Amino acid sequence: MLTREHGIAVYDGAFAHPDRLTRHQHQHYTALAEMMLEIYRAGQGKLRRELHRSIHSLLEPVPDALPRRADAFCKLLDDTSEYQQDKAGAAAKLRRRVYRLAAPHHPLVQSKFELHDSLEPEIKQQISAELGEPWESITQRFFIDIPDFQPLKSFDGYASGVELLGRYNVAQTQVALYDALMMSVWAHDDLKTILRYAKLAGLMHIITRCEDGSYRFDFDGPASMLSHTTRYGIAMARFIPGLLSCRQWRMQAKIRPKKWRRDLIVELDSNSGLKSPVAASAEFDSNVEAEFFSDWGPAQREGWQLERESRVLHQGQKVFVPDFTLIHVDGRQILLEVIGYWTPEYLKQKLAVLSTFQSHKILLAVDKTLQEHFKELFPNVIFFKKRLKAAEVVELIHRASL
Amino acid sequence: MDQTRASELLFDQGTLVLSGWNAKAIERVFPAGWWSWDSRILAWRTYASRYTEVQELISQRSIGTTLLRPHWQKVLWSSISLPDLREEQSEAINAWQQSKRGVVVMPTGTGKTEVALRIMANEAVSTLVVAPIRDLMYQWHRRIQMSLNYDAGILGDGVNNVKAVTVTTYESACIHMPTLGDRFQLLVFDECHHLPGGMRQDSARMSIAPYRLGLTATPDRSDGNHRLYVDLIGETVYRLSVKDVAGKSLAPYEVIRIPVHLTPQEQARYDHLGKQLSEFVYQRRQNVPQYDWQTLCSEANQDPAARQALLWFRSRQAIEDRATEKLRILEDLFRLHVGSPVLVFAGSNAMAREVSLRFLIPCLLSHCGKRERQDYLDGLRDGTYPALIANQVLDEGVDIPAVKVAIVIGGKSSTRQAQQRLGRILRKQGEEIAVLYEVVCRDTNEELASRKRRRNDAYTRTRHRRL
Repeated sequence: MLTREHGIAVYDGAFAHPDRLTRHQHQHYTALAEMMLEIYRAGQGKLRRELHRSIHSLLEPVPDALPRRADAFCKLLDDTSEYQQDKAGAAAKLRRRVYRLAAPHHPLVQSKFELHDSLEPEIKQQISAELGEPWESITQRFFIDIPDFQPLKSFDGYASGVELLGRYNVAQTQVALYDALMMSVWAHDDLKTILRYAKLAGLMHIITRCEDGSYRFDFDGPASMLSHTTRYGIAMARFIPGLLSCRQWRMQAKIRPKKWRRDLIVELDSNSGLKSPVAASAEFDSNVEAEFFSDWGPAQREGWQLERESRVLHQGQKVFVPDFTLIHVDGRQILLEVIGYWTPEYLKQKLAVLSTFQSHKILLAVDKTLQEHFKELFPNVIFFKKRLKAAEVVELIHRASL
Repeated sequence: MDQTRASELLFDQGTLVLSGWNAKAIERVFPAGWWSWDSRILAWRTYASRYTEVQELISQRSIGTTLLRPHWQKVLWSSISLPDLREEQSEAINAWQQSKRGVVVMPTGTGKTEVALRIMANEAVSTLVVAPIRDLMYQWHRRIQMSLNYDAGILGDGVNNVKAVTVTTYESACIHMPTLGDRFQLLVFDECHHLPGGMRQDSARMSIAPYRLGLTATPDRSDGNHRLYVDLIGETVYRLSVKDVAGKSLAPYEVIRIPVHLTPQEQARYDHLGKQLSEFVYQRRQNVPQYDWQTLCSEANQDPAARQALLWFRSRQAIEDRATEKLRILEDLFRLHVGSPVLVFAGSNAMAREVSLRFLIPCLLSHCGKRERQDYLDGLRDGTYPALIANQVLDEGVDIPAVKVAIVIGGKSSTRQAQQRLGRILRKQGEEIAVLYEVVCRDTNEELASRKRRRNDAYTRTRHRRL
């Protein structure tokens, strides 16, 4: 991730537009990005400071390339680089040695006024002889514990210039969100994934169901309701890559940039063209769900239509998104949760969740091997062996007379 | 609202959460505005800093609410070795003792740290000491070790080792307070004028600590946010000004300004850049009469011309900063003060490193580790090293050996920085007069800044001399 200092955004009325390099308007950057990667690929042994200078001078003649943009690229390139580190405080030891050797000769002068004056070049020669190393090489190692003076060891890089540009665009959006006060996401799909990523980032939510059946999630943190604070902005930025891997959503964040008189809006949606650096999560938790979904098919069965993960149950900060929702033409709705693959922890957690939300009509389809855990506790349950069949679920609906 | 829920007061991520109370009960027991209803968790919420009052009101007025159990620890000092207090230090401690909250204002060099250590020794409770930068954090660690014989925990600089007594930085305190807010009973904010800046306030708001001590030499902030001290730490309980102590615990001092001439090439380039700059500003003012420095900075991110202007400005600064002549003058001053430890302040890291490599004197920069730093400071004290160069790292409160000679060869013109720098060399030691050399480029912005500085309070009792 970039730091705040790398952030570039255009403020336009009520909106803030994080810097975006598009194929359309910034065609010339594709070649520039390739050249930047080349500088680093060929940069082994060069100091970080030199590499940064090269990137800056590459971009300097480009009329729309701000120094900040160059800094941001340096950071993204550094993020996948390994620099030679100072080993076990060797640089500090070297400095200490040199300073101590030089101390009796202080001050090192360039012209002698008195007899006891020590000339700078002479003393440096003496120290160099004492250490058995040319003065040149001593100065090279002298500050190697400072990042600027470290040589590049290896560079993983990005697959292509286009990928680097994509990463840049996501990173700039994230920087804009460092100043975020709150964030809202409207979503039709991948509700569970969105909420999971938000939780991973440490955000709290308010969940509202919209008229069209989609959801609105308002994200912020514990102290947000006490004062307008940007302290959870970083969490919101961290949430973005996960969100970008989801489908069918739009996001709106309110940001309060430092030294800006008013709050601004940052908007983003699943069609914005930003590419997530994380892979999209699998559509189904397991094969059981996937096979069941295709077995049921898109058509109605006895008036029931099957939707996946389309309802969010919530109580306080506890959330449960059942695997499927069955919707009848007459408006009735039944939730269906499939419990197949399991570990003891998973099972424990699942039972706790189910008991929290037991007031809802939830059908369970449970792997036969788990029969003993569920038999007594839940009335509306079917046990399946390896595969869950649509017909069995329809039968259960009848049996449970829902 | 959720009446069935157990009535409980909890610490939650830097806030207090009160569950099982209805709005009427809240209204009856607490002053208006103390609590906000959090619909996300169906409970009441407020900042953790209200803890003492909240806990007291609840225990007076209600039974059946489970109270918060702070994770505080009693601290046992195995031995305490603190010097006898001076009169003003005792006064400061007594003043703070009245409410165990508040800000103590004392000039640098008058023993603020000892005041805090004495208070820590007296209270013997879990304590978090918050310092502006990691160097100061390590220094606190050392002082606690020396005076209270306690190996304090460290939070920050990549270390996360929290103990009953811990030292940290403002940045780390702000980040970690949501998890640590119920673990400390006493907070010490060193150089507390840093606290009211933006989110840093959270390090005070998100803690339940009833006892709070703020220390500073320069309480006033240009943004007016020093008003927030009352809320975050407490009232100013004691104030000692530079004038009160000059000649008493502070040595009298002398400021000597040495103008430096740029080389003809430097001067030519400096003037050239200046001309281009003023031409640029002149052009802009044709359209925008109030065009100023800030406008330039904000434009520089979109406007290539403004960006160029900014580069001109920076190049000019770099010339001031690293003028060859300054190195020559440094040579003369070192010669003049051979045998007496000298402290040099540079305007930038680059300049500090350059001086260090030229004279082979240690440079104290932010990258220096704890050990290296200590070696340099001790070495200057015991004469192992003749001189030390630093950038702004030493600006505030860093414990440095009593030095009689300091040289400033660059830096910003802010009042605070100058005051702090003066404080560095003013430690009382014998009757010798301390000297601060200010090496500034002639006919440049630097000279203007230096003149401005001289009008400041801290300088009014000094003698000014020119070489």
